[in-house]
Amino acid sequence: MSGSISPSKPVDKSNKYDRQLRLWGDQGQSKLEKARICLINATATGTEILKNLILPGIGSFTIVDGHKVSGEDVGNNFFLEKSAIGKNRGQVACELLQELNDDVLANYVDENVEDLFQVNAKFFSTFSVVIATDLNERTLLQISSYLWSCKVPFLHCVSYGFIGYMRIAMPVHTVIESHPDNALDDLRLDRPFKEFRDLCDACDLGKMNVKEHSHIPWLIVVYKYLEIWKNKNNGNIPKTYQEKQAFKKLIRSGILLNKDGNPEMEENFDEAIRNVNTALSATKMPDDVKHIFEDPECINIVNKSEPFWILVRAVKEFVKSEGEGFLPLRGVIPDMTSDSDSFIRLQQVYRNKASKDVEAVNKHLQNVVSNLSIPCIISEAEIRNFCKNAAFLRVLRYRSISEEYNSPSTIFLRQMAQRVEDEDDDLVYYVLLRAVSRYYLCYSNYPGIYEVEDDIMNLKSCVTRLLQQWKITCSIKDDLIHEFCRYGACEMHSIAAYMGGCAAQEAIKLITGQYVPFNNTFIYNAMKQTSVTVEL
Amino acid sequence: MAVNCANLLPIELCEKVKNSKVFMVGAGGIGCELLKNLVLVGFPYIEIIDLDTIDVSNLNRQFLFRKEHVGKSKAEVAKESALKFNPNTKIIAYQDNIKSDKYDVDFFKKFNVVLNALDNRSARVHVNRMCLAADIPLIESGTAGYLGQTTLIKKNLSECYECTPVSGQKSYPGCTIRNTPSELIHCIVWSKHLFNQLFGEADADEEVSPDTEDPEAAGDAGEAVQKNLDFERVSTRKWAKENDYNNLKVFTKLFHDDIKYLLSMTNLWTERTPPKPLVISELSDTQDNQSNVIPDQRIWSIKECFDKFSNCLKELKERIKDDENLIWDKDDDIAMDFVTSAACIRAHIFGIQRKSRFDIKSMAGNIIPAIASTNAIIAGLVVLQALKVVQGRAKDCRHIYMNLMPNPRNKLPVSGYLCEPNPKCYVCSKSSIAVRLAPENITLRFFQDKILKSSLGMVAPDVELDDGKGTIVISSEEGETTENMDKTLSEFSIKNGSQLKCDDFLQRYEVTIVIAEASKEDLPEDQEFEVVGDIEQLKSKKDDVQNENGKNGKNEKDDTDFLEVISDEEMEVSEPKKRKAEDDNEVPSGKRLKTDAIEIE
Ligand SMILES: [Zn+2]
Repeated sequence: MSGSISPSKPVDKSNKYDRQLRLWGDQGQSKLEKARICLINATATGTEILKNLILPGIGSFTIVDGHKVSGEDVGNNFFLEKSAIGKNRGQVACELLQELNDDVLANYVDENVEDLFQVNAKFFSTFSVVIATDLNERTLLQISSYLWSCKVPFLHCVSYGFIGYMRIAMPVHTVIESHPDNALDDLRLDRPFKEFRDLCDACDLGKMNVKEHSHIPWLIVVYKYLEIWKNKNNGNIPKTYQEKQAFKKLIRSGILLNKDGNPEMEENFDEAIRNVNTALSATKMPDDVKHIFEDPECINIVNKSEPFWILVRAVKEFVKSEGEGFLPLRGVIPDMTSDSDSFIRLQQVYRNKASKDVEAVNKHLQNVVSNLSIPCIISEAEIRNFCKNAAFLRVLRYRSISEEYNSPSTIFLRQMAQRVEDEDDDLVYYVLLRAVSRYYLCYSNYPGIYEVEDDIMNLKSCVTRLLQQWKITCSIKDDLIHEFCRYGACEMHSIAAYMGGCAAQEAIKLITGQYVPFNNTFIYNAMKQTSVTVEL
Repeated sequence: MAVNCANLLPIELCEKVKNSKVFMVGAGGIGCELLKNLVLVGFPYIEIIDLDTIDVSNLNRQFLFRKEHVGKSKAEVAKESALKFNPNTKIIAYQDNIKSDKYDVDFFKKFNVVLNALDNRSARVHVNRMCLAADIPLIESGTAGYLGQTTLIKKNLSECYECTPVSGQKSYPGCTIRNTPSELIHCIVWSKHLFNQLFGEADADEEVSPDTEDPEAAGDAGEAVQKNLDFERVSTRKWAKENDYNNLKVFTKLFHDDIKYLLSMTNLWTERTPPKPLVISELSDTQDNQSNVIPDQRIWSIKECFDKFSNCLKELKERIKDDENLIWDKDDDIAMDFVTSAACIRAHIFGIQRKSRFDIKSMAGNIIPAIASTNAIIAGLVVLQALKVVQGRAKDCRHIYMNLMPNPRNKLPVSGYLCEPNPKCYVCSKSSIAVRLAPENITLRFFQDKILKSSLGMVAPDVELDDGKGTIVISSEEGETTENMDKTLSEFSIKNGSQLKCDDFLQRYEVTIVIAEASKEDLPEDQEFEVVGDIEQLKSKKDDVQNENGKNGKNEKDDTDFLEVISDEEMEVSEPKKRKAEDDNEVPSGKRLKTDAIEIE
């Protein structure tokens, strides 16, 4: 059985989404609005995740859940009401979640995920992201392997007592707009391009009155004095601290004097001096990007290559030829003291150069595409955006959950023995969560629900077997095992709310292709308010 | 799979939760999440306060609200939505200003913990002081985009909200705004002032006409003076009304005549590019090449600006038919169109690069991006902190930041121990204190002699009022305030919640007194007042202070304090007076967001 609830008339989207458009822009929003999300199991954690995705306006969601609403569900899940006890959990949650946002299409499938997967695995391949909560180990491995083969991003999220766990699995995730924290401006003062040189050369500082002189953009001021410096220093630019200090002094000497012989207030010169350090940092190819250029997916472009890799290849060709070893110019300059005409002229020079670079990249792109004889589906706006962000490209390669379970990384196992015994390292909870899933496979319920004493022994042996399997020798404190039994698989609402926020943030990063998601496991300890991310 | 969760919380904690009272200040982004969590965790008694009504731009994250609730009270609707989930919870909602004297120290005292879910500094400062005065633990929180943080503020245990002074809000000199704008933000500020002058409450500090007293223009007010003085005699609003907000007349006055007048102040333009007065018939309709840009992010042509400006005048004129005062709101489309068009026209006149409505909205509204998921994360953490407080484990609370991505030590949220109170903080360490009394019965002389001198051990106090003007009611200078001494506190509008900054220069000692109104019956027998709080600690004897200073060699420390007080006050004053115009700042303070320095692991 399945059903869907259709949306009614929408309110003005640009107003409703104003506060988030300022975070991920129209491009991010439009990707979000196209996203189709599948939630497996409408647990408290699951509905909290969905809530945080429905509010910003994903395209649609589908809940797969064969459970009936229980009394415990109602106690910790805001989207299940008392009157719903006994009804299908997915359906009830679907109805209440739908109310959060008219723009979102809501669906549910009243079937256990295991059954649905057996008869129609393909169903899961149609989503932009599949999010799962409360999955047993066997189903987890089956579904995650299948989604891995279809390249559908998979997010597994668990709230277990005071512990939260999240895992992202997908073969590769590429990010164009990574929004780095403190990127330097791309000014190229160390290797000025012709159009900028021409602009600067046309401007004669010596023939200006105070008003004109104090309104020359600082970029031009630095260029001018850099020319003087280079003439005196065999064409080298200031590199050491001392040289930069001397260079600042040189600029300061250019400030005009008034009739009393005191320096005029020239803000543009102050700005030039302030910016010397960053402005003179050498233009270079970022290591991350060099690495991406050497990626097999960039070297071996094929018909099925993603647009991202075709673009990477085109930019690589550009760097080899027109770029003379450097990326396309970003074409953005910071605000600065200047009269508006000079600023616009300078801005135009940078923009035009950037456009020229985009054109050149486009030409390489056409070459790449025509060699493959496939139609080019990449718009000029996308090329421009790609070039603008070329220095910040990120490629994240994940390990699959099957690999994690069947062939744990040796480096990781080596660290594990030591880290598990470290009281301040939350990695030990990974071992315990794995032991709990193992326990569930053996006993078909979670430790601590019925006979705490017996369960402690059994959970302990699960831990031991797991450590044996990994061939590591270390001991896990009894306290922790007791603690885990005490949890009795309980899902606390505030942990679910917290994990729901964290998982939704990562899902949004995956969907919008902006900002960098973590790789690949996140563990949260609410007792001590600590956490760790680790690549498993 | 889930079992009854009560067994995860120790029984005595469950009992404590059942007997606790929580006060939640703000029912916005974090507030909605928080209320849901509180109800689900089982807090039985919650009071919520929020002055705001629901706006469309809230719906992307404030999930207790639906589009049919737009315009209704946030506090009320949040309460109703939460009660639907658990009708047994006792929730009291106030649509009110937290700074109202109804919410006094006694009011705060009835709670076990106060949770801030606010969006502006001035209310945060107020609640901080109230919680310190009432000695009730306060959990502070805030978010900005993907980033967020929460911490506990508890007297004598941890840093208070004001322990770290923040750099003041940027304010611009009046003559830059009125005469010589050089950046777009100057034009935007001017346009917001213009909005208030034309449709809102006129404010003498928000004049938009040329400033003839600009020191730079000294002595050269030109031939247009006479004409302009005629105009000055009537208020901008009255003038506009007399002219029926005629778009041609308003435009010509603002963007032609006033600009001409500015040009006549020739001294201003010797080193600046002079502005170009605009004539309506000559407005340009040319636009930059802006293909494939969505409408909101397109830069309007000047002709378009004029059309929008005209339209806004017409619409806004309708709204003030009953002489109502409009309050500028960034989420009000017409108000935003007005500011965008006026700012762009003015920018054009002064040769400043224009921007799109989308960008101008960010600048005019101080908009900080806000998303549901970050609010959910922070609200989840706030409840965990609240549980610790209720359990009597306040010291186990943490200062937690949510990062954009894992930091180099693989932490996504980063938590640190609570910082100790800043010993220099005049709010928490120099202490604020609540005094219960009846303002109509207490004279300033009594206040000075019995309360400040006898009870608090001051020698020669100065007392400043928090009336926005910093009126000195008691001065230590001989004879300066003698005429005040026989007047009652009420005569200076000192009432419940009033804060008196009491400063003893001789002892270098400073304390803020929060007045808690109390009738004679409420006070201990034969007492005119009651000091609430640690008097022992406050009773600083002159020689003790000298010893302390001498011993630590920190005489200069108090000067620093003094400066901090000044800068803080300045910032408070420069804040917009109207609530709607306040920062939409959901972060308590930006200063800490990117810090990992206090990480514990
Ligand atoms: Zn403090």
